[in-house]
Amino acid sequence: MALGRFLLKRVSQGVVVMWGVVTVVFFLRYLTPGDPTTALVPPDAGQEVRDRLREQLGLDQPLYVQYLDYLSDLVTGDFGQSMVTNREVSQLILNRMPATIELAIAATIVAVLIGIPLGVISARRRQEPADFGATLFSLFGISTPNFWLGIMLILLVAVRLDFIPVGGRQMALGTAVGMVLADGSLDGLVTWFGQIILPAIALGTYFTALITRLTRSGMVEEISKAYVKACWAKGLPETLVLYKHVLRNTLIPIVTVLGLQLGTLIGGAVITEEIFAWPGLGRFFISSINSRDWTSVQGTIVVIGVGFVLINIAVDALTAYFDPKSA
Amino acid sequence: MFSDRVKSSLKREFQQSLLAKVGLVLVVLILFAAVFAPFLSLYDPDQQRIGTGDTADESELPPWGVTYTTSQTTQVDGEIVREQTAVTGTAKYPLGTNTLGQDIYSRLLYGARVSMLVGILGAIIAALVGVPYGLMFPSLVLAIALVGIFRETSFHTFELPDPFVVAARSELVPNVLIPRADHVASMPATTTFPVTVAVVVALVNWVWFARVARGEAYSIRSEEYVKAARSLGGRDLTILRKHVFPNAVTPIIVLGTIQVAFIILLESALSFLGFSGTDLTWGADIADGRSDQRDRWWIATLPGVAIVLAVVGVNLLGDWLRDALDPSIQGEGGA
Repeated sequence: MALGRFLLKRVSQGVVVMWGVVTVVFFLRYLTPGDPTTALVPPDAGQEVRDRLREQLGLDQPLYVQYLDYLSDLVTGDFGQSMVTNREVSQLILNRMPATIELAIAATIVAVLIGIPLGVISARRRQEPADFGATLFSLFGISTPNFWLGIMLILLVAVRLDFIPVGGRQMALGTAVGMVLADGSLDGLVTWFGQIILPAIALGTYFTALITRLTRSGMVEEISKAYVKACWAKGLPETLVLYKHVLRNTLIPIVTVLGLQLGTLIGGAVITEEIFAWPGLGRFFISSINSRDWTSVQGTIVVIGVGFVLINIAVDALTAYFDPKSA
Repeated sequence: MFSDRVKSSLKREFQQSLLAKVGLVLVVLILFAAVFAPFLSLYDPDQQRIGTGDTADESELPPWGVTYTTSQTTQVDGEIVREQTAVTGTAKYPLGTNTLGQDIYSRLLYGARVSMLVGILGAIIAALVGVPYGLMFPSLVLAIALVGIFRETSFHTFELPDPFVVAARSELVPNVLIPRADHVASMPATTTFPVTVAVVVALVNWVWFARVARGEAYSIRSEEYVKAARSLGGRDLTILRKHVFPNAVTPIIVLGTIQVAFIILLESALSFLGFSGTDLTWGADIADGRSDQRDRWWIATLPGVAIVLAVVGVNLLGDWLRDALDPSIQGEGGA
């Protein structure tokens, strides 16, 4: 099947999934107890005030009218206004997106840089101390809650050793790169690196462990195949055989998981952002829940859901490109 | 439930694997702690020893034998005085006390109840929903039931009294299962029931079970013996029950174990954020210690160690089951 047709199929599936996400989010609101106006009016406000507010928010309309209004607003990119600050939700979300994407990508880089070599070494040195160490590491990696790991990292590195900021985001990556381009100053990049390294490790450890496990099991299976024996017999250097031949053939399932996990990373960054005072979508999401700012909660879920679907499609396309069998 | 071949495979794998033994010991220990928390604990896990007037302030004591120094700056007559106090933990509170002066050891025991209950129940509910769905049982009925359950539970989360309390009063549930037993004199009227959390978590995680069940159903569908059963006029449901389901059981058990570990992590995260409705959990205790992490490290550290041990234990059991039950990756160590 041609790649184009495959993509068309996946995109149309994606549209259906997005519609499902959006619809579930809409109806969740009606399953969640509590009148949405409760948070907005003073407790002693009369029924008249509430009714006027309901009218303003369109809550007095029949459910299907509300649903259709909501859908048509979403299609035009209108997420409504925050119930608390009255600002455009789409703007609020856009402002916080770069921080979250930066963090998710940084965590992925950490995971790939550590996970893949660790998996390769572990597979090559099976049943040796290195393998045992890597297995233990990945076992603890998938068993440690990332928020606790974040707190421990702050405790150990930032507070005890006192050389990395404990939290916050003073420098956007764009600004840092701009500084380099403007006058070749690396200060911005250093600040950026210092602030993102701990959250990236906290968020990426689970992911690192997962990649280590996947790489190891894939490599173990591949390494016993005949073509690898032929490579050894030819006397090719170990690194070349392992990384160029064996790893390459185990990369497809790793890429698949990587892509899927990037979506969960964006969602899973919620707690990490909370711990490190990282001003991204996750922090926004939690504060919106706590202030019962329903339009913001709704908008954030829709954006994360859509991002997840898009990443999935991209990963499928990549996999199809590398491995025509799967298309 | 298992055939002799499977049993011997489980046994062999267990004897060969040190990690499987470690996992079993960890899980048994934690289940023991959860079930017998009222007998093992030293104090009421909710009893505060700070600013209550009738009890001495015994908050923020380190674990037994550990000393920590805290420095406080106060202003005396316009001059800033730096005061240093050293505190050493005593055997009275073996793992120290938290910011409210609650005994951490006792709280960890009770926290095990919530974690294990939510983890196991969540995985079971997810499997009960996901497996039939994956095997293509009538799914519309389930969808309707799910909406009903969610509506009910979300109401419980915010408004209704704890169904556990109701159950306890009507003596429907044996005392051992009640999360806050004898020690607790007054039970708040609107705490959340761990089952609510389990249901909510299962609402998300049933998909994994559906996926695995569906994958198995697909792969088995084209097997010769299923074709034979069908050509002999076997009805779909019968084939599903007699042929497809028994084959799908193994991967579902393995997935179920991994899901228990995953749900324990999820529950701790929800509790950490304060979304689970009870504060007697490991996650909530980490949140409590977080505000105070600079000096009083143990308050946030110890509940986290408990979570890691529990999840490592369950994951090791999962690895053992997978290695023993899945012949395709036997001896490879697996992913």
